[in-house]
Amino acid sequence: MSAGAHLLLVDDEPQILRSLRPALMAAGYGVATAETGAGALSYLAGEPCDLVILDLGLPDMDGKDVITRLREWSEIPVIVLSARNLVEEKIAALDLGADDFVHKPFAVDELLARVRATLRGRDLRLAGRASFRSAELEVNFAARRAYIQGEEVRLTPREYDLVRTLARHSGRVVTHKQIIAAVWGPDASVDAQFVRVLVAQLRQKLEENPSAPRILLTETGVGYRLAGED
Amino acid sequence: MRAYTQSVIRRHPRLSTYGAAVVVVVIANLVALPLDHWLGYARVSMIFLAAVLISAVKLGSGPAYLASILGFFSYNFYLVEPQFTLGIESEDYLILLVFIAVAMLTGGLAGRVRDEASRSLNRARTTSVLFQAGRDFAALGDEAPIAERLVEGLAEAAQGEAVLLIDGRVRQSQSVMTLEPALIEALEACQTTGVLAPGPDGWRLRALLAEGRRLGAAAWRPTIVTIEEADQSRLIHVLIDMGTTAIARSRLSQAWAEIEARERTESLRNALLSSISHDLRTPLAAILASASSLRTFRGVFEPEVQDDLLDTITEETERLNAFVGNLLSMTRLEATALSPQSAAFDVSEALDRTLRRYERRKGSRQLAMTPSAHPLIALGDPILFEQVLGNVLDNALRFSPEDGVVTIAARYEGNVLAIDVMDQGSGVPENELELIFNKFYRSSTTRETLQGAGLGLSIVRGLMEAMGGSAVARLGEQGRGLIVRLQLPRGDS
Repeated sequence: MSAGAHLLLVDDEPQILRSLRPALMAAGYGVATAETGAGALSYLAGEPCDLVILDLGLPDMDGKDVITRLREWSEIPVIVLSARNLVEEKIAALDLGADDFVHKPFAVDELLARVRATLRGRDLRLAGRASFRSAELEVNFAARRAYIQGEEVRLTPREYDLVRTLARHSGRVVTHKQIIAAVWGPDASVDAQFVRVLVAQLRQKLEENPSAPRILLTETGVGYRLAGED
Repeated sequence: MRAYTQSVIRRHPRLSTYGAAVVVVVIANLVALPLDHWLGYARVSMIFLAAVLISAVKLGSGPAYLASILGFFSYNFYLVEPQFTLGIESEDYLILLVFIAVAMLTGGLAGRVRDEASRSLNRARTTSVLFQAGRDFAALGDEAPIAERLVEGLAEAAQGEAVLLIDGRVRQSQSVMTLEPALIEALEACQTTGVLAPGPDGWRLRALLAEGRRLGAAAWRPTIVTIEEADQSRLIHVLIDMGTTAIARSRLSQAWAEIEARERTESLRNALLSSISHDLRTPLAAILASASSLRTFRGVFEPEVQDDLLDTITEETERLNAFVGNLLSMTRLEATALSPQSAAFDVSEALDRTLRRYERRKGSRQLAMTPSAHPLIALGDPILFEQVLGNVLDNALRFSPEDGVVTIAARYEGNVLAIDVMDQGSGVPENELELIFNKFYRSSTTRETLQGAGLGLSIVRGLMEAMGGSAVARLGEQGRGLIVRLQLPRGDS
């Protein structure tokens, strides 16, 4: 139900709204706009909406606070826009519950691809599916098994937990912190180095060429993402 | 060696009081001898009792006991029959026994009362000295005055002289006449070893310790003796501890202030970087989004939508160009590499061109220009002047309310041409009218996101002055809105 979805575009710069709205509409989405964080929150409280595209630099409040407030009562997917290009900011937004992050400036096609992936990921989660399937990788959540090109791969429990976490959020970045919480437990104090080691192990088993990964992709300094389903 | 002998006397303060007791008994003897003849020796014993009491009250219990014993023997020797021997006739035993018992008792009692009084006097004095010092240390925030106060307080407590060595810097109390190099050496040694040590010439030394670190050393030397050494030294040590703690605390708050200042600079730098990247990336984002939209959806968009996107690309490119122009001008102004041409040009034309450039960018706000009947000729660089005007208009539009009006008026005033740009924004506080022309200045009253990099107005002033003109700001009628006045030399004469 990707096409026809309703989007809220939040940015205080009129020229950004002006340049994005036509393309989003042409791609088949309904588009509403807001120029402030308060405006966005009150719109979302009253109107049905499928995805929020949120600029982090808003005149009335920090975009990160908008995410925090929104996450208190809504699971609606959020794609964050920012001109600041800070890795820390990106991690903070994702940890607060944003689904993806796009740096300004960006081509409209890139944004549309992220919107599609995010909406699809949400649909999958909503459907509560028992398996994940992409060109090479298949993960059967019920049986706790993973297959590459149809052949089963033997994974340690931690490796399986990692691949399951990424598969559940396929197409979307999962931060180091989120991976640690999912694999080692929410209270674990584990260095990001452990995540890197685990990812390297997993790549040995999944990737044809572990040094040029195609399935388990690195988001430098932020976390990892699994190449999306077809 | 004089100082040394003095210090020997100082070390044994009791010696002098015992000497005084001897003197008192001698005087009693001198008084008693002639009276003995008339009064009889039994009555004269009262004179020796008086001597014991005087010693007790004035000198303390120890000297009183000494006076009792001396009194007993001299009374026995000089007065009691047989005179000039220590022998006693049987009936005089009683008198002598009663004398020694009464002398010892009264002397001891009176002496103890006197000792107690003098001790509580000392205690009260100690408490008040420490209390006052504590208050002063708390009130003096900085290290230097605390150290001054400590060295004077120390001299007062020691009833003499005091010297402090902190971080290689020597401070002395006003009572110090000459500072011997030997003392400084001893202080330095004391600071390194940290031990309590007697110094040269009767000086006492101690290291200053706070939170396990040695800050320096202190030395003191009394010149007169009135209170007991133990009390005095306890007072001095507590005073030194308090002063050292106060100095350490002042250093901590100093360090804290420095950290805070560094953090402020850091956060200012971050804010600037983020607003510069915002000013550069926002137009880029609009351009890239518009161009990529046109490329992807060319066949889908209505012609108006396509025009609108093309307009966005044009305007945002201009905006970006203006911002890059500002950055370049700023660099050239700072390097004083700017050489504006000075030619006569028509300011009305420049105003008109700039206003047309801003026609779309103004949004719902209005730009109003008071027309001039005759050409307004100024001396300057028309290209730089348009950049100046663009910055002033940008600023005025940014701070204008929705549907606000920005008014531009130009006229000759004497031998200059003055251009006023008035907005209906909230203005700035009176004391910031000059500051807004500083590079990177951000008004305390504006919302964070309304602020740019703080380059615009500083470039305005820099360029105007490079052209031989000026730029100043004042508040509008009733303090509402901001008026920026640009002045250039007249070019029509």
